[in-house]
Amino acid sequence: MPKKLKVRLSLFILLGWVLLLLGDRVDELRVYQGASIAVYAIAIGSIVLLTGYSGQISLGHGALMAVGGYVAALASFEFGVPFWAGFILAALFSGMFGGLLGIAAARLSGPYLAGTTLALAVGLPSLANQFSILGGEQGLYFDIGMPPAILGESFTQYKWFYWIASLAALIVFFLLSNLLSSRYGRTWRGIGSNETAVALSGSNPQRLKIVAFTLSSALAGLSGALLVMTISTASPSAFPLALSLSVVTGAVIAGVSSLKGVILGSVILVAIPEVADAISHRVGDTLRISSTLPGLIISVLLVLAVLFTPNGPGENLRHLLHKGKSHK
Amino acid sequence: MLKLLNTILIGLSTGAIYSLMSISLVLVWRSTRVVNFAQAGQAVFSTYIAYEVSLRTGNFWLALLCAVLSGALLGAFIDFFFMRMLFKHVTSGPIRAIAPVVATLGLLGIIRSAVGYIWGVEVKPLEPPVSTDGIRIGSEVLPFSTYDALILLIVFVVLMILTFIFQRTSLGLSLKASAFSPEISRLSGVRVDLTRTVGWAIAGACGAIAGVLATPTSLLSPNSLDILLVFGFVAAVIGGLESMLGAVVGGILLGLGVTFIANYVGSTLVFLSAFVFLIIVLLVKPAGIISGKRSRNA
Repeated sequence: MPKKLKVRLSLFILLGWVLLLLGDRVDELRVYQGASIAVYAIAIGSIVLLTGYSGQISLGHGALMAVGGYVAALASFEFGVPFWAGFILAALFSGMFGGLLGIAAARLSGPYLAGTTLALAVGLPSLANQFSILGGEQGLYFDIGMPPAILGESFTQYKWFYWIASLAALIVFFLLSNLLSSRYGRTWRGIGSNETAVALSGSNPQRLKIVAFTLSSALAGLSGALLVMTISTASPSAFPLALSLSVVTGAVIAGVSSLKGVILGSVILVAIPEVADAISHRVGDTLRISSTLPGLIISVLLVLAVLFTPNGPGENLRHLLHKGKSHK
Repeated sequence: MLKLLNTILIGLSTGAIYSLMSISLVLVWRSTRVVNFAQAGQAVFSTYIAYEVSLRTGNFWLALLCAVLSGALLGAFIDFFFMRMLFKHVTSGPIRAIAPVVATLGLLGIIRSAVGYIWGVEVKPLEPPVSTDGIRIGSEVLPFSTYDALILLIVFVVLMILTFIFQRTSLGLSLKASAFSPEISRLSGVRVDLTRTVGWAIAGACGAIAGVLATPTSLLSPNSLDILLVFGFVAAVIGGLESMLGAVVGGILLGLGVTFIANYVGSTLVFLSAFVFLIIVLLVKPAGIISGKRSRNA
């Protein structure tokens, strides 16, 4: 095992340990939010892989998450597959679906791809009403069962969600960070900045783009399945257009060009409803404010991020530190 | 037979609205190279203005006029204060490719929240000027209403006005020139930035009309026009995203296609059909029906 890989592996194990300890220290609500953060982190990671590396955009990752969520729910509901296998199936199926989509996507650039994936995000959830096996508007019930008895009496359902989601996120990010620092990651980065140069150096940009789209979709599917786990149903209303957009927003706020910001992005996404709640309580809780404020905060953050920290806050910080040094 | 006729008529009036939305996207795309996702928000804002005016005066035509004016103003405002700043700030990095898309999405969210705050998030009705009940022929009642006929008429008039502007006025010439080649236009004395802002205003006005026309048969809420935006985009891509004629043809074709699916296959598949149409067009004829010379990978 190369040394770098060893360091990275121990880093992730350490991170897992910290997360494990954290889960014991905070109350139920925080544990649940922790699970949501892990779910969003995987989804944002899939956008970083797609946009930050291979230079493609998707406004339809909510639809791919829906594919994953429904596959997991169907597998356990109809075929009695154990939940962890359901998650793997979810990633496989949405990866396959994403691969097909990626074949079309690799031929498209920026706005076309954005519009196409947007149309997918709008259209796909309505399929649930077309086929009765998908459970219509109520959706499908997805229950992963009680936590194993070995974990003790006081081990709650939410903590079980938190463990599963965090473990999944840790595994995903360990694999992803290795992949992105490999030859693939570098070539993807190249496609994002200069496709012609990549083609001239003997790689096939089209194929690499399709691979990126497939992997990204598989991750989105996995996060969709985990999302369905935390809310226990797969329904069209769990995957609205807003979900697709907020995942992109999280990625842009965190800096789309590196994996490091992913946690920041997902924490912000989970924190926004709570912050909005606190503000609307302070100014007098009217329905008007509480229903529009989360959307406003997230959109303002998105616009500010695009204008002022286009490559992530980390990049700006580094510039600032550099400047500070050179002045001394 | 009657069903076929109905489908075609409804398809035409639906398609006419898509065409207008599509035109507003094409106008902005040609001049700014941005697919303006905020257009759904701009249109919904103007439609709320129309709702307010219609509530106070009861006059649909005054409401439509106010919506058009507010749509044009908002469009110009966004280009002048926002897009110029965006292009000044975002110059490099992986974000470069997606910045315009993401920025207009953020703008969409801001407008939508503002609208929701001002008018509330409950759905609102907009009174139509004429009956939306089907026209009666003998004992049969067509789903095609007087209002649908009015939509066709209004869209036709708007298209005539646009054609006049683009074919017969110097403003139209500078709009086309600065979209086609900004550098050369600037050298020939066209004020490219100002022209672009005017283009955004015209696009905003078209979007406003589309929004106002689409609303009486449904209901108004801060995100009620998102679907219209998606259909408008699909129509624009069918038409090649570069040409206004293409936008109109694409809109009509899409309107017909969607109505056929709704009437003959199943109305729940309408949303997905837009995606399917889009994929088919992009795979079979990626440059659109009315194609320009530019490739899609520009």
